[in-house]
Amino acid sequence: MIHIVVAGFSATVQDVGREGHLREGVPRSGPADPVAFRAACSLVGNTDRDAAIEIAGLPFAFRCDDARIVAVTGREVSVVARDRLPAWTAVFVRAGDVVRVGGTPRTRYAYVAVSGGIASEEILGSRSAYPRAGLGRTLRAGDAIALGTARRGAEDAGGHVPFEYGGDIAAVAGPHHDRFDAAAQDAFFASPFTVAPESDRQGVRLEGPAIAPRPGEILTCGVVSGAVQVPRGGQPIVLLADHQTTGGYPIVATVIAADLGRVAQRAPGETLRFYRVERDEALERGRALARSLSSA
Amino acid sequence: MTFAPRVLPFGERALLVELTDVFDETAIGWARAIADAWEAAHLGRAIPAYASVVLTFDAETVAPEQAERDAAKLLAAGPDIAWAIPGRARSPDIVEIPTRYDGPDLAEVAERSRLSIDELIALHSGRTYTAYFVGFLPGFAYCGRLDPRIVAPRLDRPRERVPAGAVAVADGQTAVYPSPSPGGWRLVGSTDVAMFDPSAARPTRIRAGDHVRFVPA
Repeated sequence: MIHIVVAGFSATVQDVGREGHLREGVPRSGPADPVAFRAACSLVGNTDRDAAIEIAGLPFAFRCDDARIVAVTGREVSVVARDRLPAWTAVFVRAGDVVRVGGTPRTRYAYVAVSGGIASEEILGSRSAYPRAGLGRTLRAGDAIALGTARRGAEDAGGHVPFEYGGDIAAVAGPHHDRFDAAAQDAFFASPFTVAPESDRQGVRLEGPAIAPRPGEILTCGVVSGAVQVPRGGQPIVLLADHQTTGGYPIVATVIAADLGRVAQRAPGETLRFYRVERDEALERGRALARSLSSA
Repeated sequence: MTFAPRVLPFGERALLVELTDVFDETAIGWARAIADAWEAAHLGRAIPAYASVVLTFDAETVAPEQAERDAAKLLAAGPDIAWAIPGRARSPDIVEIPTRYDGPDLAEVAERSRLSIDELIALHSGRTYTAYFVGFLPGFAYCGRLDPRIVAPRLDRPRERVPAGAVAVADGQTAVYPSPSPGGWRLVGSTDVAMFDPSAARPTRIRAGDHVRFVPA
């Protein structure tokens, strides 16, 4: 079992996501920062089908009944058990030791993966919590959750994944780029945007120059994570894990999978800038990221 | 000008198939049929809507160009593809929603439509609707078409909280809010029927393609 000692503001169990009920309007969910999630899973020998804990609003603390390999990832996270431990690293934690996860004001999401995975109950084919619709709930201090059989032991400690959150955000144009004139597209791909405080697991809301679509409505269509919706006011929203399955606003561009974590972890008030890539480059970036994560 | 159906990249791991750019009941069935065919062939997941369908694919094993060829093949089969999917044809359920016509916007919608409240209730409950697709919230089924005499544009300023079970109308369509949510549709009634129950074998009360009737209670 894993015991939650300090629950943070909003901690949930997340696996890769629930994709079997999209057509019933059930969001995919899964990690807001898929890169940090995959890194944590990979470091402890789990697959991304295994569940980890996502924390928004640190500090968070937990202990396990037996000794486990654990990894904590996320932006600017820190880890302390008996001693300070490195983040983004497979660490060995003794039975009963309390592990405390801290961050900075810039930390949006932290991930705790435990070898064997968080074996909470599956709902509709996934362990990802989506409390809004009654699919799981946020964790509370005192919760105890089963763990799967550990896949790695003490000898596997030490693996490390490097990851840097800075930098501009790569996006593929469209699918509705023809709903924006050249000036609006150029403004989107050249201007700095500021992250608004209302950002959450549904999406990162941006403030900046208005990226006004051409007049006229679009028919509601299905959407995917990374889609950059532009409502009438012209202030873009980058969709994250808990986004609705359909949307009625034109989509100027779609953030590549490898950069989605960089968007999710940008804190309110920080700036963010997009640059355009073609699909092949997006795929190459995805493969390079997968190689760096699997080297753990 | 006629719209030529097309397949567009949607990031590097999905496609958007656009069938038309106007509301058209044929396109809704076509979008759903393409979605069914894509999932039946295990090519990925699909999200159909009014006149388009999003198709996802596994970018680690499938080149986007291959996914585009697969999508183009389904598209080329035309709207009749609905008949060509073995084992996927499901006869629609008829879902009855016992409805109290007690919504806060009932009188206003009647007035706007130049109908008495009784006439509005008779028109809303007098039709069998088709569920076009489910989106927005888990279990939120977009149903249509409303009788054209019912005039109900979306609210200029959406409500911050619409209660679960609210029966609503907007822009020629009707729906039931499955859970409390902000919402811009006009509320004409309420029901106690659970529209989404994650513990049920079939979590959504209404599935796309079902026939829906509102029965005054």
